[in-house]
Amino acid sequence: MRISPLRSVHLRKTILSCSLLLMGLGGYASSHREAPLISNDPLADNTDVYAFKSPDDPNTITIIANYIPFQLPDGGPNYYNFGSNIRYEIHVKNRANTPGDDITYRFTFTKENEDPTTFFNIRLGKENLKTSYRCEKSTNNGTTWTTIVTNGIVPPYNIGPRSIENSTVGLGKTYEQLRQGAIATASTGEQVFCGPSDDPFFVDLAGAFDIGNFRPEGNSVNPTKDGLARYNVHSIALKIPANLLQKDGKMISQAANILDPDFVIGVWASSSRKMIRTLSKSNDPAFDGDWVQVSRLGMPLVNEAIIPIGTKDKWNATSPYAGNDLQFAQYFTNPELALYMDDSQFGGAVPSLRGLRIQSKSLGSFDFRNGKPGLFGLKGNAALDGTALAEAAFGGVLLPNAASPRAVDILPIFYTGVPNLRPYQLATGKNGNPLAAGKPFINNFLPTLGDMLRLNMAVPATPRNDPNFSSLGLVQAAVLGLTNATYANPNLQFIPNMDGFPNGRRLEDDVTTIELQAVGGVVLAAIGLWYDDFTPGTSPSPVTTNLTNVLSFNAGPTKNDTTLRAAFPYVQTPWRGFDYSLKARQ
Amino acid sequence: MKKIFSFLLMAVLTYVPFSQTVASSHREAPLTSTDPLADNTDVYAFKSPNDAEKIVLIANYIPFQDPSGGPNWYRFGEDVRYEIHVKNNPNTPGDDITYRFTFKTVNEDPTTFFYVRLGKRNQKNTYTCERSMDGGMTFQTIVSNGIVPPHNVGPRTIENPTVGLGAPNYNTLATNAIATASTGERVFCGPTDDPFFVDLGGIFDVGNVRQSVNRRDALYHMNVHAIAIEVPVATLQKNRKTVAMAANILDPDYVIGVWASASRRQIRTLYSGGDLGDDGNFVQVSRLGMPLTNEAIIPIGMKDKWNRMSPYAGEDLQFAQYFTNPELALYMDDSKFGGAVPGLAPLRIQSNSLGAFDFRNGRPGLFSLKGTSALTGTALDDAAFGTILLPNNTSPRAVDLLPIFYTGVPNLRPYQLATGKNGNPLAAGKPFINNFLPTLGDMLRLNMAVPATPRNDPNFSSLGLVQAAVLGLTNATYANPNLQFIPNMDGFPNGRRLEDDITTIELQAVGGVVLAAIGLWYDDFVPGQSPVTPQLGKVLSFNAGVVKNDTTSKAAFPFSQDPWRGFLGNQYVGPQSFVPAPTQPLAATVLAYNCATGVVTFGRTGGDPNRAVEYRAVGVVNGGYGTTTTRTVETGVRADPNTRNIWVMVRYVGDPMSEATTTFDFRTFCAAARVANEGSESLSMRLMGNPVTTDEVMVEVMGAAGEPLKLQVVTAGGVSISQQSIGQAGEKEHRTVRIGSIPGVYLLQATTPTSSQTIRVIRQ
Repeated sequence: MRISPLRSVHLRKTILSCSLLLMGLGGYASSHREAPLISNDPLADNTDVYAFKSPDDPNTITIIANYIPFQLPDGGPNYYNFGSNIRYEIHVKNRANTPGDDITYRFTFTKENEDPTTFFNIRLGKENLKTSYRCEKSTNNGTTWTTIVTNGIVPPYNIGPRSIENSTVGLGKTYEQLRQGAIATASTGEQVFCGPSDDPFFVDLAGAFDIGNFRPEGNSVNPTKDGLARYNVHSIALKIPANLLQKDGKMISQAANILDPDFVIGVWASSSRKMIRTLSKSNDPAFDGDWVQVSRLGMPLVNEAIIPIGTKDKWNATSPYAGNDLQFAQYFTNPELALYMDDSQFGGAVPSLRGLRIQSKSLGSFDFRNGKPGLFGLKGNAALDGTALAEAAFGGVLLPNAASPRAVDILPIFYTGVPNLRPYQLATGKNGNPLAAGKPFINNFLPTLGDMLRLNMAVPATPRNDPNFSSLGLVQAAVLGLTNATYANPNLQFIPNMDGFPNGRRLEDDVTTIELQAVGGVVLAAIGLWYDDFTPGTSPSPVTTNLTNVLSFNAGPTKNDTTLRAAFPYVQTPWRGFDYSLKARQ
Repeated sequence: MKKIFSFLLMAVLTYVPFSQTVASSHREAPLTSTDPLADNTDVYAFKSPNDAEKIVLIANYIPFQDPSGGPNWYRFGEDVRYEIHVKNNPNTPGDDITYRFTFKTVNEDPTTFFYVRLGKRNQKNTYTCERSMDGGMTFQTIVSNGIVPPHNVGPRTIENPTVGLGAPNYNTLATNAIATASTGERVFCGPTDDPFFVDLGGIFDVGNVRQSVNRRDALYHMNVHAIAIEVPVATLQKNRKTVAMAANILDPDYVIGVWASASRRQIRTLYSGGDLGDDGNFVQVSRLGMPLTNEAIIPIGMKDKWNRMSPYAGEDLQFAQYFTNPELALYMDDSKFGGAVPGLAPLRIQSNSLGAFDFRNGRPGLFSLKGTSALTGTALDDAAFGTILLPNNTSPRAVDLLPIFYTGVPNLRPYQLATGKNGNPLAAGKPFINNFLPTLGDMLRLNMAVPATPRNDPNFSSLGLVQAAVLGLTNATYANPNLQFIPNMDGFPNGRRLEDDITTIELQAVGGVVLAAIGLWYDDFVPGQSPVTPQLGKVLSFNAGVVKNDTTSKAAFPFSQDPWRGFLGNQYVGPQSFVPAPTQPLAATVLAYNCATGVVTFGRTGGDPNRAVEYRAVGVVNGGYGTTTTRTVETGVRADPNTRNIWVMVRYVGDPMSEATTTFDFRTFCAAARVANEGSESLSMRLMGNPVTTDEVMVEVMGAAGEPLKLQVVTAGGVSISQQSIGQAGEKEHRTVRIGSIPGVYLLQATTPTSSQTIRVIRQ
């Protein structure tokens, strides 16, 4: 494959200036209460972002941003709702050379008490703290806005049978009816839903954050525990025709192939508050001034397990544009989590991660442990010609110096997306040379050098009933591409789960496990930079003990505590407060 | 009463005109529900069960803390002013005593995302406690740098000595955090189990109360942050008297009112970069005195306002209507919504008590007695408090609920048990409460003279004063009109103990149980027959679902139980991967040094054994990089008494990135050798460094010159680690022996045909 010259001088300049910044530098659960300040402001706390090809419609993309973590289903009398003084936004980029958002969806909520004389949330058909919304859309980086949903309905909390179904004291409808009735169709064609839902995320918080006391699912020592089991969250969900997201308005059917680089989008969400809040004894708080971003999320778990505590609040206040994220690049090129997968650092101190050991002498020579050179020894070598690592391509970013080993894999996954270029192809067909051309498996390259969830919309959805469907996402696609006879050729084929994280993020994807495997070097292995126990010419197979340990590792729960819905908004209805039985949270 | 009180009386008359109760205060108002750090959830005030002269005050904040809520867990806010307010004198305008808590937060290691790592703690709280005895005019610091224990994250965080804090157990951390104030109080601030219990899922589903099946404690296994103070009664009593000086167990001079609050600065400014600023005066954003007031008495349209008000200066009178005609009463009244709330069916308010009195919302209650001579000498007389207690003919509960929440209940007719009244509720009866402190504002009122009911007393009951009334009405021991201690007279609403089931008590109270206790029996009472009618039986056997906490209380201060642990059970250990050979980084060492000649021999430890190394040294002849291991220290260096070190560098051949430097102190080495040499000629050993931090240790053996010498390292248990034999030992035999990497105590034995010597080696 040939590297095409960068299309835009501006982009090339951006990348070069960023690579200069990188020269000087030297994770892990999603983002629920992940930073000190935002953990005190639940209404503005953006917990997760999902972006995936709709499984029931190949021509639409579904984007979901979740807010307000750890909602007790029985958290009365006020339960939970979107904040009326918060600006919730979903940001989409489809061009690397424009300065800000290419598409922005903005949500504004208002509340009303239909009966302020009771302490009940719902009574006699009246709903208190009843929330409705307006959705606006901008396609010119916020310069102008079009209102595309007016008076959108946020369904009430699923309190219990008396509040919802009872026709005398409650609302007299099933929760399903209320929720279905809340799905709006925007004037521009999107379907929109804002409301409470089951939190689809799953993670063993108790294990992970007891200094890495992971309990993998299926272990015989201590059953793992989903820290978000039976909790609700508030979702903003959009089902968007792909041609509204594609930069030239193209449909999926117009894609050149399933990795067409023109079909990559980057997605992130945020919440903002007014700059000044004034409290007084006599009145409700007043809000003034410009909007200030207080929470953001693109890739999962970044601010939970990659950004250190001293920098988390700053991360939340920063946009991924204009090179802002480069100040954090050091946490990706030398991630803290890697210290716990490295016996020369703290590897011995975190026994639960013993199955993950980063390559220290891959192919006998490449050391990817923190502070080590990684592939930097190849810098300037003719072997890199024609690869993404060449100086003429992106070598300035990917090989910045001799002490940023993960600039070659972790950094691009989070900051640029991964191009379908050598060496970022599966080892299948490479004949032992990781720099050779191999089997394509990803192209979500959108080199803005900032954290976003990047999705190539041309990749088909894996049917949820496909026997090969896997919560390991692209890691499982790589395993299939390396080991399954169907894919034992260097050609571009659809491999199941190529539509999975980190190519976008499906509700099912076990991002905690995938990210830990990635920090443990699994992406390097997939492209032929095998683990230390593989000796070229001697080892019979690259599927060594180390690689097996990594692939069989999991971080805890591997699936959500309930099902998903077959149709938009896909997230399940919220847990009902009255049903919240004694068994639930033990 | 005094002037201020009559002012308040006027005010209440203005406010009470007719217009129009259940769970504690967790996320109870719309605004507070979005500001957890400033959300005051519960206040407790009770006689210490361990010390009759001590009162325990507990204010809880930050509701619904999931024990596994990492990575940041929960902490007191630095930008929040937390206060516990005490009144002991209704004639003063504001607080008589104020305890103010200010917290700081530091990150001991800002480079990690973990809460605790390698003994360092992030988001670590410390606090200052100040006290004012003059209504907040002046404050005195009584605890500085108070410790807030960490969250009970799990075994690696708390007990593990390497990666965590290395505590013996969590309880030690919690106990060690108890401070003694300079003024004698004991103080604890930190996470605890949330001692409150309530079935939120049932009650707030429009009163879907569950008494047996599926009832659920919504605070099950949830933590909260407690501010707890143990205060001598003499500090709280208005004249500094001790309990021993009380006239009797209902001495009116021993009543205190307690409430807590959280305040934030008036102006918050968000800046770019994740910073924020707080400026201006403090504005109260949350308060709590009596439980459940703002959860189930104040309607949603007024909840935020309630949180901003103080209970002083008549501010609470604007809310009096919600007590004189409580919303909950609508659901215990078949002429209103009684039929629509089956969960409360056992509770039916008196509509025809003693054939005459109707206490349902909007009805006259006892108002028809107004101005009659029957009231003379009672609290209901206008000469006493009749203008508050009988304001008009549509405020029926001004006679019971309003005083419970706003004034406390005096030991005056009719507020005595029906025992001894001979059927006339207005007659004198058996005293059972006196927590009267008529400030006309919501506070938790406690008569400190009342003794504590021992927690192991068979009559101890979570129904508090309701159970004291039941005992006083039905138990033969108390069948007399005299003042006696009845168990649970120290229970809610005379203060509030951790065990008290205040949800049930308050629902029973709205259902008219206090009226019944003083002889205003339920509708089904037939004069001449037992007042314990089926309806009273239903009320007394009613409960709101969950009747006790999901864990025990501690036997000693702070009484609230340790917080639930996030990680429970055994720790998983992953499969062993192929471990790369170099487990220790490459380092240089000095294998031998001749004090007489300056000849030095370099060696290496760690690193990749398959890669060749080269050495360089500063202060050495021919010091440049090369593979030669034997060099000579420069004569000038050895002669200069101010120089004692040489620097030895090692690296893989041609690999500058791998360079490592070691310092060798040749003077100390030679001084030690000389001292040993001057001793005797018998066999002796000297270690170059003990304890040792590397896998190998250098030993100097003397007194074995010319003899065969055996060196052996064994563990304390006798297992051999390494050994080496020397055919003919030198005068000073320098040897490097292998200890291994496992920390512990080892024995190094030197043996010659004539002698043996053993020394201890400590491997760190």
